Amino acid sequence: MGLLDTEFGKRRLLTVEVPAVEAYNRGRDPGFGITLNRVGGALVLSYQLKPCHNVYRLETRLLSSYPTVPPETRVLTPLKHCPHLLEGQTMCLWRQGSTRAASRWDPAQFTCVFAVQAAWRWLACYEVWHETGEWPLPEAK
Amino acid sequence: MDFRPLNEVERRQLVTALRGNADRGLSLLMDRQTTYTGTAEEVPDEEVIAAIKSVPCHY
Repeated sequence: MGLLDTEFGKRRLLTVEVPAVEAYNRGRDPGFGITLNRVGGALVLSYQLKPCHNVYRLETRLLSSYPTVPPETRVLTPLKHCPHLLEGQTMCLWRQGSTRAASRWDPAQFTCVFAVQAAWRWLACYEVWHETGEWPLPEAK
Repeated sequence: MDFRPLNEVERRQLVTALRGNADRGLSLLMDRQTTYTGTAEEVPDEEVIAAIKSVPCHY
């Protein structure tokens, strides 16, 4: 299944993902909205988040197998190495590489904006960890 | 990046909010620049996209 080259994928984009992004962007300050770009067979969301005092640039990649396969979110702003950060500054959000049953990503419930919100929460945890050395949330079971 | 840390009060408030979000679905509210502004027990449907509901993440 391809997000950008099948009827199912295009319908999902037009009826679910794009309206969610438009709603997120409504009233948002310039620079803090989500922009969408096609990169090969993937759709890339570029945006900034500022959960506390620091601004982070991020991108969330929706691969052609999205939404079956969860989105991948990478922080472009250099970070200190910390828990729940994978190679290439990819956030560990959904237990990547796990079986479908164990994954935290639910394609029936979540949109790409949920991935942005999950990234926001991850960054808020990072800001706490940066000062205390402790990740403020326990690892989900 | 020049990292600007949270002060102790801000950090304590944020940790309480994050745990409330994870444990009991408290919504985290953000402003037009996505900066944390507080929490809410309930968020109207039309504002839900501007609030961080509890997302069952791995971390």
